[in-house]
Amino acid sequence: MLKILLTVLFVLAAAPDLHAEKRIGVIMTGDIPYYGAIHESFVAELKRRFAGIEKIEIILQRPFPNPISWSNAARKLIAFDVDLIVTYGSPATQAVLHERSNIPLVYAGLYEPAHAAVKEKNVTGCGFKIPLSSILRYLKRFKTLNTIGIVFSSTEEDSVRQYKTMQLLCSQQKIKTEKIDIRSRTDLEKVKTINADAVFMTGSSIVHLWLDEIITSLDEKHIPVADIFPDASKAGVLMTLYQPTYSQGEMAAEIASQILLGKKPDDVTPHIMRDTELVLNLLEAKHLGIVIPVQLLIEATRVIE
Amino acid sequence: MRSVSLPLVKSFLRSFFASLLICLISSATLPVIASGQTTELLIGIEPEHNIFDQMRRYRYLAEYLSDQLDVKVKLTIMSRYGEVIKRFKTLKLDGAFLTPYTTTLGIKELNLEPIVNPVNLKGEATSQGFIFVRRDSGIRSFVDMEGSNIVFVDPATMEGYLFPMAFLQQHGVKDINSFFNRYYFSGSHESAILGVLDGRAAIGSAKSTVYMNMVNSDPSIGQELEIIAQSPKVPEVTLCIKSEIDLELREKLRNILLQMDKTADGLKVLKQFKAKRFVGSRKEDFAIIEKMAQTALGVLSVHGR
Repeated sequence: MLKILLTVLFVLAAAPDLHAEKRIGVIMTGDIPYYGAIHESFVAELKRRFAGIEKIEIILQRPFPNPISWSNAARKLIAFDVDLIVTYGSPATQAVLHERSNIPLVYAGLYEPAHAAVKEKNVTGCGFKIPLSSILRYLKRFKTLNTIGIVFSSTEEDSVRQYKTMQLLCSQQKIKTEKIDIRSRTDLEKVKTINADAVFMTGSSIVHLWLDEIITSLDEKHIPVADIFPDASKAGVLMTLYQPTYSQGEMAAEIASQILLGKKPDDVTPHIMRDTELVLNLLEAKHLGIVIPVQLLIEATRVIE
Repeated sequence: MRSVSLPLVKSFLRSFFASLLICLISSATLPVIASGQTTELLIGIEPEHNIFDQMRRYRYLAEYLSDQLDVKVKLTIMSRYGEVIKRFKTLKLDGAFLTPYTTTLGIKELNLEPIVNPVNLKGEATSQGFIFVRRDSGIRSFVDMEGSNIVFVDPATMEGYLFPMAFLQQHGVKDINSFFNRYYFSGSHESAILGVLDGRAAIGSAKSTVYMNMVNSDPSIGQELEIIAQSPKVPEVTLCIKSEIDLELREKLRNILLQMDKTADGLKVLKQFKAKRFVGSRKEDFAIIEKMAQTALGVLSVHGR
């Protein structure tokens, strides 16, 4: 009798719990609408995939965009011993990689992941590419460009890469560049001294945290702005060429679900999204006194008027 | 503040400007035949990307022909490719400047007579279809195309639809819906090129003359795109006249156009029309397109009506 009881207890203890809870730690920098939109579609897709199969708990960390906060967020999730960490954007991804944990990592919202230092074991994900040359091409059709201001953050690896790419494109086309490095709030003063025909915003979280203030300063000087993150407030940015967030969120959820169901991250090929949407802001164009040619207007995926 | 979706804006703008031009330029659309003598000719035009510039160019030519023929030549612009064939009879057109595919349809279905082809400022009277990709897309040939997005120009274009369809058919593609992730029609050759440059599609098709014009005005485009297939060369634009028009008038029209580069007045108008001269056209020039259509679509008249 005792033998039977012990056998039953052993079997129960050893059997996999089919309804065990999985925990996903997510690092979403600050209140950046771009990352918020990726997260929204990530959660929706994950719920759809695991509905009735397994309970998923998401622990969301929203660090302020600075190295210490990103690092703290990564350490907290590792301490929670989550089953998977999901990061949006380069700095959060780099912060987790820096901790050298064994927890699988899925990244999203990463610019050109093939050029980012993310090729490590246990790491996969999806990123995007925006042809920055197209931004330059459109800006040139809005007005004559002698100098372009590039707003970036040297604390964010992908923002630096975008800065360098845009700088190279400009030099090839004999357009001068003016770099504006935003590392902290005090750097916003630099925006007031920009003397450029147009400004390009790199996909930096710290830059987008203070986007409204930056736009206000540039608006006073009637400088048009182009961005690669969608302008949630629909005011101030003249043109936006961006990769739709829902596809990255859904892809991140697909990758996450594969890993949660037992696939090794090494066996999941990273994805790069190249499709883009072009938004032109006619309100801002009117404010800046820029006439957007009809031939250009019809290229837009969306027109704000 | 509100957002307007792209298809609505595109459709509205195209239709609006085309309608506006039709109203402004062709106040009377009926050919006038008094006592058996033609006193007016109504000529249709297929739309280019910039219809304002196009109408300006064609107006110079219409005025010149009116003087030389002693017959009033009026113009009407269509809102899209292929419409000219569909509406040739209802609009009571006497002729039209047609692109290669619609010329082929016009000869076959409406018994139109090809009269002349303009020779552009580079000395070319022909164009060809290009299939192109972004160099960084990873697509090098047909084998890499499956599952990606493609942009066509219009179902009634040889360069922007018929040729890529024939190309795909020759490589064994039976159904583009299942072969590609997505396909769409841009409405113009320039839009198809911009669509690939911006990442809205990975693969595009468009006509060589527009492609080369864009590359010449912005060399960075040539560095970013790669042509992976080319169609045979065919006459780019052909003036076709309906066979019911008096033979004597047709011959007079052909001779005036062929002799334009030999007179000072003619040369002046050719310059305004952005052409070097006109050359004679023959029905046999379009046999290759009919063959291509049969390969791609089975029956020539399935599309473009």
